Amino acid sequence: MTERAAPIVEVSDLTVSFSGKPVLDAVTLSLWTGRITVLVGSSGSGKTTLLRAINRLNECFPHCRTEGAVRLKLEGRSGDIYKDFLPLPEVRRRVGMVFQTPAVLPFSILKNLTLPLRVTLGIWGNVLSDRVERALQEVSLWDEVKDRLQDAATTLSGGQQQRLCLARILALEPRVLLLDEPTASLDFRTTHKIEELLARLKERYAILAVSHSLSQVRRLADRVLVLREGRIAQELDPQHLQDTHAFQALLDEVF
Amino acid sequence: MCAGSLALAILSLVVAYPAALGICTLVHGLARGLSARFLLALVHFMTSIPTVVYGFVSVFLLVPRLREWFAVGSGFSLLAAVLTLSLLILPTITLVLHSRMEQLDPTLRLAAEAMGFTPVQQVRCVLLPAAARGLTAAAVLGFGRAVGDTLVSLMLAGNAAQFPHSLFASIRTLTAHIGLVLATDSQSMAYQSVFAAGLLLFLLTGAVSLLIRKSGGKNRGL
Amino acid sequence: MQKTLDRLLTCLAWLSGGGTLLAVSLLLVFLASHGMPGIDAALFFGDTPWLDALLARKPIFGGIWPALVGTFSLVFLASVFSIPLGIASGIYLAEYASDHRHSLLDFMVDLLSGTPSIVMGLFGFTAILALRKTFLPGARTGLLLAGLCIGLLVLPYVIRTTESALEGIPDHLRLLGPSLGLTRWQNINKVLLPLAGRGILSGAILAVGRAAEDTAVILLTGVVAHAGIPGSLADKFEALPFRIYYLAAEHRSPQELEQGFATALVLLLLTGLLFLAAVLLQRSVERRWKTR
Repeated sequence: MTERAAPIVEVSDLTVSFSGKPVLDAVTLSLWTGRITVLVGSSGSGKTTLLRAINRLNECFPHCRTEGAVRLKLEGRSGDIYKDFLPLPEVRRRVGMVFQTPAVLPFSILKNLTLPLRVTLGIWGNVLSDRVERALQEVSLWDEVKDRLQDAATTLSGGQQQRLCLARILALEPRVLLLDEPTASLDFRTTHKIEELLARLKERYAILAVSHSLSQVRRLADRVLVLREGRIAQELDPQHLQDTHAFQALLDEVF
Repeated sequence: MCAGSLALAILSLVVAYPAALGICTLVHGLARGLSARFLLALVHFMTSIPTVVYGFVSVFLLVPRLREWFAVGSGFSLLAAVLTLSLLILPTITLVLHSRMEQLDPTLRLAAEAMGFTPVQQVRCVLLPAAARGLTAAAVLGFGRAVGDTLVSLMLAGNAAQFPHSLFASIRTLTAHIGLVLATDSQSMAYQSVFAAGLLLFLLTGAVSLLIRKSGGKNRGL
Repeated sequence: MQKTLDRLLTCLAWLSGGGTLLAVSLLLVFLASHGMPGIDAALFFGDTPWLDALLARKPIFGGIWPALVGTFSLVFLASVFSIPLGIASGIYLAEYASDHRHSLLDFMVDLLSGTPSIVMGLFGFTAILALRKTFLPGARTGLLLAGLCIGLLVLPYVIRTTESALEGIPDHLRLLGPSLGLTRWQNINKVLLPLAGRGILSGAILAVGRAAEDTAVILLTGVVAHAGIPGSLADKFEALPFRIYYLAAEHRSPQELEQGFATALVLLLLTGLLFLAAVLLQRSVERRWKTR
């Protein structure tokens, strides 16, 4: 674990409101490569808004106001993503996001992967197919789909679809992954598969995930942030989680 | 002619509106499943029948019957136009009502069911009052369609420019007036009246759009 | 009292349902029985051999072929004008317009869709009058003008279906593009439009059906009873709905009347087919969103 390394994302005093109604209130947190940070909190506590603030996706919704700073560190440079540090599309490529429902497009498996690469990076030919294969290998999907890349992506199972979404993000070479309840729509076995995958991926990416399952939090988290009414109410490390009393307290408070 | 247009539009609405209510009652209460879906499909299909086809069939099917039964005049009359036009605007009204009721349906129906209402009572006491805004929007939209229609009145109403004193009178509407004067190319002073009629129609339908907006419905131009 | 009301409403419901069914079946049966015998080669091409007619080697007298060609040209012109413009406006309304502009434009579209077709025709007619008085003394009503006016008439259909097809895309797919780093336009062009494609297409088909059946607009913008196949965009033209209207009022023989029925049936089949296509497309769109 890279405990003393500088964080890759530093959120400071982040306040987000929709139509004047505050959703996040002065949130400060950091993310490191090599660690999975899990956000927990009751519904309406602002978890999804916090995720979407880190790739500026809140701006797709009307009447959104964001204050504070989100500093991103990339290859020695660093800057506030809300202050022209990078063009917006690049911010979103560097900070990849996976949604609760597998958001596959009703195109072929291959096109789901190549579309963003071609459109945003202008990659063609061999480079393109290399990247696709690498991304699919990374999520252990390659062997399952390599013979049916032209099939409709909607024919895949739920777990496969979610891994496809992950592969699509990884192909864009992000540094940070934002996961909004990535296993909420999946069954037990597929969930396990995704969790193993995430445990492997954290070596190379900083991961911030929202989860509703406490057992998942226990298995996955290197650090837990408890969000309540738009503020970070508590920060727990894994030792806390193994401690039955503290765990029970968390249980009562959040769920 | 203003009186002709208004009489035709209002009378058509008087015929078509209760019928639309009735069809919605069937679809949302009395007839379920296949027959309800068939009825809805029929109403949807009616929107695709060209106006001129409605007019044409009425000229040869309805008008001779009216002439026989009532033995007044040629049969080309306010009544013939009203009957045909109400068939023309029926799907518009029905579909607006239906879409409003469909939005309300699932939750309200369960609540009404739990109170022990029969299907008809559900529609009468729960769905219709809840869809009140849809009710006005549908009426206004139907009126707008009826006032704006040209072909039915041109083909069936007889086109005599006089006050509509009875159902069997031959009348001329604003829309038909524009068509008649310009299509026959008469270079008379009627020319001026055409533009007056056009402006009046535009204002009238503009007011209709405004009313629908106020009542919260959306004019989807069906 | 309550019981009576219930009974009344029940009666009204069955009466109106039955009445509507009866009226529509009467219409269809009447039209089919009178029109079916008249549908043959002579209906379309009169006495002219069909090959000569299709190649426009000989003029056609008495057939509805010129009217059919006129209607198709009208529909084509109206589509060329209204479909691109309508889709673009729909995209703007759904994806770009600010709240204030949205409500203003929304009202404009409502106003346009509420405008009676005869008023649209009058607008075209007036435009020609104005042109003639100013810098184009040779201007007259004809195919191009009629196509433009009909395009304006069906424009709201295309705008509305485009708008609602785009707005009907579920949120998790709508956000996908931006989350992958696509710009707004890339997202619309590469993700949202392909997703909304079938919905937009069904709207375009409905617009085409509406363009094919409208009579009031062309009445004022250059349709005539006998014009043959139009040679240029400024020519007068024939059209199916106008021919039906004309034959209803001015048939001189039982043969002409039979032709009127047959023509009405042809037009009904045409618009019915378009309608069916639009419905099937719409169904497949709904099924697609429901399966997830």
